[in-house]
Amino acid sequence: MTNAQESVSVQGGRASGDRRRRAFAFVGRYGTLLGMVLMIAIFSVAAPDAFPTLSNGINILNQASLTAIIAGGLTVALIVGEMDLSIGYVASFSGVLVTGFMVDQGVPWPLAILAVLLIGASIGAVSGLVITKLRVNSVIATLGVGTVVVGINYAYAGGVPVASGVPKAFLDIALGRWVAGIPNNIIFMFVTLALLWVLINRTDLGQRIQAVGGNREAARLSGIRVDRIKILALVVTGIASAITGILLASLIGSGTTSAADGYLLMSFAGCFLGSATLRDGEFHIVGTFIGVLIVAIGFNGLAILGAPTFWQYVFQGAILILAVGLSTVARRFAKT
Amino acid sequence: MIDSVSGPIPTVGRNGATPEPGGGRAAPLLQVRGLAKHFGGVQALKGVDLDILAGEVHGLVGANGAGKSTLIRLLAGLYRPDAGSIVVDGEPVTIVDPAHASGIGLNFIHQELNLVPKFNAIENMTLGLPKASRLGLITWGPVRRQVDEVARRLGADFPLDIPVEHLSVANQWVISIGRALVRRARLIAMDEPTASLSAEEAGRLFQIIRELSSDGIAILYVSHRLDEIMDLCDRVTVFKDGVRVLHADRAAMTKGGLVRAIVGSDVAAASSAGAPDQGGPVVLETRHLGRGSVVREVSLQLHAGEVLGLAGLVGAGRSELARLIFGADRADTGTILLEGTPWRPAGPHDAFARGIGFIPEERRSQGLILQKDVSFNINLADLQPLRYAAPIPLISLSRAARRAERIAQQLGIKAPRVTTPVIELSGGNQQKVVIGKWLTRHPRVLILDEPSRGVDVGARAEIHRSIKELAAGGVGAIVISSEVEELPGLCDRVLVMVEGRVAGELTGREITKEAILQLSYAHGQGARTES
Repeated sequence: MTNAQESVSVQGGRASGDRRRRAFAFVGRYGTLLGMVLMIAIFSVAAPDAFPTLSNGINILNQASLTAIIAGGLTVALIVGEMDLSIGYVASFSGVLVTGFMVDQGVPWPLAILAVLLIGASIGAVSGLVITKLRVNSVIATLGVGTVVVGINYAYAGGVPVASGVPKAFLDIALGRWVAGIPNNIIFMFVTLALLWVLINRTDLGQRIQAVGGNREAARLSGIRVDRIKILALVVTGIASAITGILLASLIGSGTTSAADGYLLMSFAGCFLGSATLRDGEFHIVGTFIGVLIVAIGFNGLAILGAPTFWQYVFQGAILILAVGLSTVARRFAKT
Repeated sequence: MIDSVSGPIPTVGRNGATPEPGGGRAAPLLQVRGLAKHFGGVQALKGVDLDILAGEVHGLVGANGAGKSTLIRLLAGLYRPDAGSIVVDGEPVTIVDPAHASGIGLNFIHQELNLVPKFNAIENMTLGLPKASRLGLITWGPVRRQVDEVARRLGADFPLDIPVEHLSVANQWVISIGRALVRRARLIAMDEPTASLSAEEAGRLFQIIRELSSDGIAILYVSHRLDEIMDLCDRVTVFKDGVRVLHADRAAMTKGGLVRAIVGSDVAAASSAGAPDQGGPVVLETRHLGRGSVVREVSLQLHAGEVLGLAGLVGAGRSELARLIFGADRADTGTILLEGTPWRPAGPHDAFARGIGFIPEERRSQGLILQKDVSFNINLADLQPLRYAAPIPLISLSRAARRAERIAQQLGIKAPRVTTPVIELSGGNQQKVVIGKWLTRHPRVLILDEPSRGVDVGARAEIHRSIKELAAGGVGAIVISSEVEELPGLCDRVLVMVEGRVAGELTGREITKEAILQLSYAHGQGARTES
């Protein structure tokens, strides 16, 4: 083959590849939003009286709120380039601890919350240290740390829910409607997500977190202390997990050993759906919110339609696979 | 097939179906006649001839870009020649791919070896060969016997059944040679075999090469190390700019003659008489700085406002020296003085905090966050001034954009906006973004590793202009370049490194392409003996 032919065919390939790439990039960026709109449309037609109402909208946001908080924290870990599989266990442990502190140790509720937030941060720091100093892959490191947390959880409460004697003031945190009749958890969700958004996009630390996740070596050679940044990112994830655990305990009125374990899967689904939303496979807070919302809308709609419980699991598994698939495809086609 | 070469092509051997009996004994194992190849507008090989006899060790030398690799790749069937012929055992051949080359007895060991790290020696040596099997399962018995025989022949004293990633580079070389022998190689081409071997390991390799040669296997030995060539080779061929400029047998080989052929002219040895005024005070000094065998006893002084070039062949230890100064690696010996004060870098962040900037060789993998925009990348190294108020860690994106715009303008970065992801910029503009990142820091010392690799001529000129402007502003700049053409116009002073040491220094008008090459190849001693 001559060079002339080669270059022509290469150019031809590039032109059509470009179109394909752009099409995929579009699907990657707006596909999830389209999917959400489609879902809303279908549920609205199928259940016009129950689904498209203000109270159901608030209901969906309320259901999404705790997932969105913990998923927002997970997003920070994912942005810095690490997985955190301990989040659900940390949240469960936080719920047990905060109620236990109040009921068994008689700690006043504000102090109990503060202590548990600190413990959540510490667990994140431990994961970060294991990842950066022992150089253990983050999937393994956080799975290990998470399992140890489960162990401590059992050791502390013996696997028995801490239920009776939780102060009313604590219960009011999640159940109250302090602002304009909106459930508090929705407010907490927006406040936490806003703080996380500012942290990532408008602070030194956030810029460094993005840099480390974007290109570790380039960040290091730009004078960034990569290990420290990774640890700090996982501390943020730990705190967010603790917040979700505390709010869940307040919501259900007890600390239950494995109450929040299920948030792990939903968070990953939300984060990966979000990474394929508006961006090309990049994790970001707004995306995570939309991703979590999509999952919540799906659950809510299926429940209203009276779909059997197993459909919820099928939906959750399918959406996780779809999310990661979309995210990967978006990332591949974003590359030039 | 259309020949798109316009240059003159020697007609020798173009229709040469008949072997050339030559002067007496056996016909050459391999005859190359008028081989030409171009890439884009660059004529990499301009019709070269080469004969290799069975059982000889044939040296092939030349500066970077002389055409050695192109020849090897043509012989290996990785490229097709534009013109010329390859004749093996008197039969003209068109080598279609590496498997074909191997099938006619030509085997190639590239510098990066291409072994499968997780496979053991046996699996690597027999990779891709048809193996005896029973019921679809490989029967390793015959394979093992074959490999054992080769291993014995090579004197392999390491276990053959552990993954090769656990073996030394020297042993991996032995395995690569074994791989060629299992394929009944008649010619083995080796690219820079001793580049990462110790002297002792190299000695063992030479012994193996001599034994292979006495068994009738021809070796094509590609190396920058002229002492090895002198020691080992029966004949040597020198390429320069795609042309064979020297062809000599052992009796006619002199080191001076080889250097002259590689460099292209007889250069007077560089003298450092009358060291010119360096201008500013010394900002950075190293004394006997060393790490392992890659950087040895390097002492240098860098002045404020100076552009200091570090020249040398690939593997001479320049990038490794830079990494020591930037704290990316730790020195075993010696000291670094920063403005006269001894300093031991605790890591890149430490060097960074003290005003040392480092622009790495691999800008895409080490210099940039590709998916992030121009402003993000430029501002990354210095976020503090972007805060609304110093104690609050909130940063202003408009401040970031203003600073990025100012720097983009200063460096002539061509980007639609400062919010354009750097992945969408050209190589030259990406490199300017990396340089721009350090402008925000007002560094005292800036180390640039291959700053203009892979950028076009115009962008290179602009990058050079930026470096000179930085120096004029008082920065001490160290420029590492493997392209000897780059340094003369850019540097005030050039240190030439050879095998981890500073082999010579060139100042002002002494800095020429020829002088740099001379020092690179002559180990410094050659230059002295010739003057």
